Amino acid sequence: MTTETEQAVQTAATRPHPAPKLRARLLHPDLVPAALVLVATVTLIVGLKLTIPGFGSLPQLTAILVTAIFLVVASFGQGLVILTGGIDLSIGTVIGIGGMIVANLTRGSDDMLLYALPMALLCCAGIGLVNGLGVAIARLPPFIMTLSSSIAFFGVALGMTAGSSQQSVAPALQRFVAGSWLGIPLPIVFIVLFALAAVLVQNRSPAGRQIYAIGSSPRAAAILGLPVAGLTVAVYTVSGLCSGIAGVLLAGYSSSATLDMGNALLMPTIAAVVIGGARVTGGAGLYVGTLAGALFLSTLSTAITALSLSQGLRSVIQGAVIILALLLQSRQGDRLTS
Amino acid sequence: MSDPVLQVIDLTKRYRATVALDHVSFGLRAGEVCGLLGENGAGKSTLVKALSGVVAPDQGSIRLRGNPFSPTSIVEANRLGISTAFQELSLVPSLSVAVNLALPHPPRNVAGLVSSREVRRRAELTLARYDVTDVRPDDIVGQLPLGMRQRVEIVRALARNPSVLLLDEPTSALSDREWLFRLIDRELNGRISILYISHKLDEIRRLCRRCIILRNGCKVLDSDLAAMSDGDIFTNMAGRSVVEAFTRRASSVRKGAAARLRIENLAGPGLDDVSLALAPGECLGVAGLEGQGQSALFRTLVGLPPATAGAIALDGVTMPIRSARDARSKGLVLVPEDRKAEGLFRDLSTLANVSLPVISTVSRFGLIDRRGERKAVARVTPAVDLAERYLNRNIGALSGGNQQKAVLARALLAGAKCLLLFDPTRGVDVGAKQSIYAMMAEFVGNGGSILFYSTELDELVHLCDRVLVIYRGRIVGEAREADLTQAAILSLASGTHPGSVAHAVPAVEAVQ
Amino acid sequence: MRDGAGSVRALGASAALPAFALLVLMFAIYASRDASALTVFGFGNLINNAIVLAVAASGLTLVVLSGEFDLSGSGVVAIANVVVATTSTGRLGSLGSFAVVLVIGLAVGAINGCLVTVFGLQSLAVTIGSLIVCQGIALMILGAPGGDVADAIASGVTGDVGGIPIAAIIVLGVAAAWLVLKNTREGIGLYAVGDDEIAARLSGLDVRRTRFLAFTAAGLLYAVAGYLFSAEIGSGDPRISDSFLLYIFASVAIGGTSLTGGRGGVLGSLIGAGILTVMQKMLFALGVAEFYTNIFNGIIMVVAIFFGQIGPLLFRLGRPRAA
Repeated sequence: MTTETEQAVQTAATRPHPAPKLRARLLHPDLVPAALVLVATVTLIVGLKLTIPGFGSLPQLTAILVTAIFLVVASFGQGLVILTGGIDLSIGTVIGIGGMIVANLTRGSDDMLLYALPMALLCCAGIGLVNGLGVAIARLPPFIMTLSSSIAFFGVALGMTAGSSQQSVAPALQRFVAGSWLGIPLPIVFIVLFALAAVLVQNRSPAGRQIYAIGSSPRAAAILGLPVAGLTVAVYTVSGLCSGIAGVLLAGYSSSATLDMGNALLMPTIAAVVIGGARVTGGAGLYVGTLAGALFLSTLSTAITALSLSQGLRSVIQGAVIILALLLQSRQGDRLTS
Repeated sequence: MSDPVLQVIDLTKRYRATVALDHVSFGLRAGEVCGLLGENGAGKSTLVKALSGVVAPDQGSIRLRGNPFSPTSIVEANRLGISTAFQELSLVPSLSVAVNLALPHPPRNVAGLVSSREVRRRAELTLARYDVTDVRPDDIVGQLPLGMRQRVEIVRALARNPSVLLLDEPTSALSDREWLFRLIDRELNGRISILYISHKLDEIRRLCRRCIILRNGCKVLDSDLAAMSDGDIFTNMAGRSVVEAFTRRASSVRKGAAARLRIENLAGPGLDDVSLALAPGECLGVAGLEGQGQSALFRTLVGLPPATAGAIALDGVTMPIRSARDARSKGLVLVPEDRKAEGLFRDLSTLANVSLPVISTVSRFGLIDRRGERKAVARVTPAVDLAERYLNRNIGALSGGNQQKAVLARALLAGAKCLLLFDPTRGVDVGAKQSIYAMMAEFVGNGGSILFYSTELDELVHLCDRVLVIYRGRIVGEAREADLTQAAILSLASGTHPGSVAHAVPAVEAVQ
Repeated sequence: MRDGAGSVRALGASAALPAFALLVLMFAIYASRDASALTVFGFGNLINNAIVLAVAASGLTLVVLSGEFDLSGSGVVAIANVVVATTSTGRLGSLGSFAVVLVIGLAVGAINGCLVTVFGLQSLAVTIGSLIVCQGIALMILGAPGGDVADAIASGVTGDVGGIPIAAIIVLGVAAAWLVLKNTREGIGLYAVGDDEIAARLSGLDVRRTRFLAFTAAGLLYAVAGYLFSAEIGSGDPRISDSFLLYIFASVAIGGTSLTGGRGGVLGSLIGAGILTVMQKMLFALGVAEFYTNIFNGIIMVVAIFFGQIGPLLFRLGRPRAA
């Protein structure tokens, strides 16, 4: 009798768990976090609609998407860096610097925009390049390198400007952020195109594949002769460039720039990547997940503003979802190894 | 005979797809030294870990002196009477020998502080008791040569006064084996039992009366050694008789052709002065005890790190090799020793693992051409006998043998003209081994060259045209043709036949 | 004559030595430009400026020695600061708020430690999460800079006993506590776990417990740092400067503690905090504009870590292996 029960318990324990198999058939396992986050986003919107009458009008939903643009862009760079097993803590400062350069060079007119835009993006990519060289060549820990360069370049920018732009940014840029095409706001068109390009780069290009390999096992990548240093530098440069784009857009959105305007975006970029299912030690994660994470976090921001809650709560939730996402990931890992 | 001190009953342990231990049972009597033999990956290390409390078995039980024994930690296993000298050494590098000997609970003084005087005093006593005279208690472990560290590791395990002592490959870095043998003879007085894990048959014969052989996680033999010939033992370890395992092929060395790879006076970290020449179609073996520079040799050839002196020439052209990228572009591809950490990208599918070297060339409009990728991979998978159905799976879910086949397929796809295979059959099942041997034969048959290191001497003897023996960062001898026997390699490898060095030099020149 | 535990000390000291030389050099430059540096008042002022960073960096050192990272430091300091600013003049009083702050620090440290050791999460990412949470909580407690710190706290911390600044006594206390800890089983375990986790576990050390204790002690020290910070500035500010996080890490790195764990020590971090403080004073005395201080901070950090990596290598090469 006892042995029979024991046997029954044993077979039950050794039988493969049916749930993951079923889910795997419905949805690729890598897409699960993205789907969960999207569901959470929709739930949040529906919940808000129920609690706040008048919430959830089309313009309001469009506004959420439009304000998501900065996070969508900046977190692509962060995502690539995290994919290699690093982290970029300079994103906040670089966004500020990008915005300041455009604002200070254009001074309220469109004349200089064609010069100011490449200038801003080049400078931001340059900061990313410095980060990349520090990580790949000098072999500094990524968070130290990017935090240090963030502080140092903030100092440089503070020395060259007064910390905020004296005049408004080029009107053309403001029109782009507020404009629409065939009734669709231009930022949303931009988001769609950007996301499409990002997915292709990260998940369909040879360089993207090699970046996954580097993040998965840097030692194996080196032995195989993959261009580890080159791609690492490239990834940080792209992150700087993305932050620059986000900064330029943010300057256009708020019609002027301050040096510290990007600081509030740094932690959300990390949160977006992590809750999107990327592994912080590198090698795993899809841009689709990061995109979903960015949408969720901007919906959350809107919700907190709409409910007139403390901005502190937003940080608490952001931090908590990072930890929660990490916990969920580690449980998934346990199941794989056991 | 009395009841066994240690009894292992039906012990089973799985790691994902691999069964590391499969219902293993045996007993260990008081005062006995029992040999545990098996090829790499046979489950010896897992057994050691289960017995010493590092991993918990999935099934089965262990009894120590009749009581159930299921330690949840090393400390508990020590307390109950089992201690282990680990092969990978469990000493903390930045601490002194004395502190390491005192871990995990160094003695404290009245103030509750660790008493460094007492720690040192005890270490002096312990080292003296076990005849270790050249290691001082204050030496930092990380600054000691590997052999000394191994002795400290053994001494620490003994000093815990175990009733069962596990010695896991205790001579892998030891230059003075007699020290250990003397110690075992002396300490063995009916109070302590030893499980002696090794794959060196001469040691087992010297120390043990009985031996247990594991193969693919199963116990295949438990018998008195006196009744067994070396051949019987090898057959049991490999699961095949030596003769049938290696179908002898005609040598495919292109005689008279210019050397594919020529190394002259190569030096670097761990590498003193190595010269060799490898002809097209040749499979050149490298043999040596653990840590004699073989790993450094293979790594230096792919620039990890680059050599500090000497020259490397491929097909007659001398070139500096600064990185693995350099090496690959010249056709030198390394299949590394530590497959898990250095060979696999565990987040990628098997297909993506194999296609990585050519991923940039199978792209169209900057995007990966999936059909092209598959086609490229299909060119090399038959050579290593890797089944198509594994390609879409995550490589981490494959068995060790299939993982290694994928790594080899990748090396072929990388355009290797000269393959550097470092112990490619470690942790690989018999079937996969045969596939790897066949792949190697085909590769040299097509004019490729292989530099081949293996810890399995019979592989070297049967697969290679010549075998060079490396000792302390130098080539000290060569075994070829009639001399190509395990005994000849072993005597060269232990550095006891200095005379053979003289014979080695003309042998190398003969090929040039 | 070196002894067993002393060998560890020798390794730590050798890494902190260049840092100490740098501290003396910077102080000399500063003193040559500003004579008040050498007065009792000037010295007390310097120590008061350095104490917050010194205590927080000591906490981080424990975690870094154990082979992990902890970014939550500036978050705990922020919470402690706003709690003191909102409660110390009220019913809790200065001692009551100190107790509350300690409990908070202990709790954050324990949660970090638990997430890293029990759940096996990567410490860098987890503590970024708890940093954000802490910053948010600080903002919820005090929405904008303000509040008031009890006079007893401010005068207590910045005061002196018989001419010796209290801050100096605290620094000496931290140093003494470290010297004791280092010679306990826990202290030796800390080095062992950070140096080689696997070897430490196979040697029978409890890796999880060691790391958990390191995180918890760090949380406690951050809380103390936050309390001292409140005393220094006399009010509450939920948004403590972002660069504070960098300063904490910079102090540890400049002090010669290896960011991969197992090498270094708290004494080095105290020197590191001193260097950063003296550097600001020195740059100010030399008339360098304030924003350049940022640039210097960033560069010195990178340089410190870079040479921190090179240092042990030179150390190893300089001592040929015994045959």
